[in-house]
Amino acid sequence: MLEVKDLVVHYDGAMALNGINLNVEDGEFIGIVGPNGSGKTTLLRSISGVLTEVEPGKKERPSLSGTIIFDGRRIDKLKAWQVTKAGIIHCPERRRPFSEMTTLENLEMGAYLRKDKDGVKKDLERVYELFPILKDRTNQMSQTLSGGEQQMLAIGRALMAKPKLLLIDEPSLGLAPILKESVLECIRDIWLSGVTILLVEQDVAITLASAQRIYVLAHGKIAVQGTKEELMKNRDVREIYLGL
Amino acid sequence: MVLSYLRRAHSSFAAHVFDIPPRLMVFLFLLILLAVPITGISDYYMGILTSANVLAIFAVSWDLLVGRTGQISLGHSLFLGIGGYSSALIFKYYGLPIWITIPLAMLIGSLFSVLIGFPCLRVKGPYLALVTMAFPLILYRIVKWAPLTPIFGRVGIIVPSFFHFLPIRQQVIAEFYFTLILLFASSVIIYKIANSKTGIVFMSILDDEVASQACGINVTKHKLMAFVISGMFASLAGCLFVHLLRLAESSVFLLTVSFIPVIITFLGGIGTIYGPIVGAYIYSILDKYVLGQMLPNLLEQWQMTLPTEFEYAKLLIFTSIVVILVIKWPRGIARYTTDRLEDLEEARDLDERGPRIWKRYKQKNRN
Repeated sequence: MLEVKDLVVHYDGAMALNGINLNVEDGEFIGIVGPNGSGKTTLLRSISGVLTEVEPGKKERPSLSGTIIFDGRRIDKLKAWQVTKAGIIHCPERRRPFSEMTTLENLEMGAYLRKDKDGVKKDLERVYELFPILKDRTNQMSQTLSGGEQQMLAIGRALMAKPKLLLIDEPSLGLAPILKESVLECIRDIWLSGVTILLVEQDVAITLASAQRIYVLAHGKIAVQGTKEELMKNRDVREIYLGL
Repeated sequence: MVLSYLRRAHSSFAAHVFDIPPRLMVFLFLLILLAVPITGISDYYMGILTSANVLAIFAVSWDLLVGRTGQISLGHSLFLGIGGYSSALIFKYYGLPIWITIPLAMLIGSLFSVLIGFPCLRVKGPYLALVTMAFPLILYRIVKWAPLTPIFGRVGIIVPSFFHFLPIRQQVIAEFYFTLILLFASSVIIYKIANSKTGIVFMSILDDEVASQACGINVTKHKLMAFVISGMFASLAGCLFVHLLRLAESSVFLLTVSFIPVIITFLGGIGTIYGPIVGAYIYSILDKYVLGQMLPNLLEQWQMTLPTEFEYAKLLIFTSIVVILVIKWPRGIARYTTDRLEDLEEARDLDERGPRIWKRYKQKNRN
């Protein structure tokens, strides 16, 4: 479904990703773990096309080389909204809900590109089923939601776009352990309903528990990859990269 | 004691005034404005109100770009100047009637905003403010450039007023009504745009660009759209100004002119669209009447005159007002009224919350 080949990304001369090769099959649950600064977020941002937008105050855009293929189509040259249209939905780091809008309005923004009104209505029901707390918060401004609720809202908003591939960036950021688990549980439910998932996480334990295959990033490269069992078998990998 | 009485009076006043539905409030406001010429006030005061109408168009266009889309422009006088000069030049070289030069000036203004939009949209935030600030200064130099004097004139380009065929008093009244109608039309158009689906996309860009992109919004396209709409109406205002002054001159490109919509919008309430209209009247009355007429008259009684440098001090006064407003009343004067309205509504039913515009939009599209 998604194929990343020799992806290299520079930020103003500093290398963030150094030759990433990655592939995601239809219906898989892929986890990407790694320490801070290993390039996890950059990887997701380059897939979704958000990366190539200019940041204020930066001299240059981040430069990107290599190829990203989604459903047989090259997407690395596309703009963020075109990638979204192709079916890759990015659930960004730090949640980023629209703070001036209510929960329902945020969810409606997620369905911005969709034309099928009935489908949107059905998906709204589905999101409310998945995150019942959001239903209680329907008309509450999203900036007044708690961190966990905001994360649920961000995932719900991404779901409203009817993703084929859902990129989730650090859903556990700043959440209590019990909330982390429940968010991960929800992501598993989404995966079971047929959405391919690419999850970036710092928390190795919860990722290992849910993902089918795991890539371990370090210094902009993929250090190891494999299923949970394969990774846990190797003692060095376990100690150096996973800290388990 | 006096204070508590005033406070009580204010709250009972507020309870009644804010009970008026907003649509009726707009209607009453318009009715009062329509009735102004009947009161027989002098031409000078009519002129103040006419220029307030035009300033309101200018500020409303700025509010759409800055208050609703978050693209900070500190060089909006560029569009004012382009609208004015293009209308004046078309008149000078082709002698077309005003009814044709106005739409042409708006067209040229929107073309220019596309041209300027492209480099501007490569930068964000304070950088965008600086870039937009530079453009009118470039045009100021071009217009002032000696080899181009035959085109732009030594003092400017002289144009006729809109209703030059009427006697002077009727001219003033006709100009007032004409600008009022245009203000009404353009603010309704901008308000409708701001509350349409496109307007909500503008809001989301203001809120969070990355999240908007993640929702599949073409951010660049929508920013450019905001630029073009805003530039178009600002050039309409410029075109109107030129014909009111009967002169197109280079000083419209000055930085001080770019600050006028900022002052007006903060007076009225940023991001409301209707706020700048209220702000424009307050600004014009403060600027031309209180500081331009009342104060000199008062000083004359004590055998004093204002120094000529007072023109510059005015900007100081207004910027201080803006600083105080931003700190004490950041949502502006018109916004204060609607906030009270929403408080009342909330007291009635606590379930219906959220910004007014969304409610409107959804009520329209729900069924």
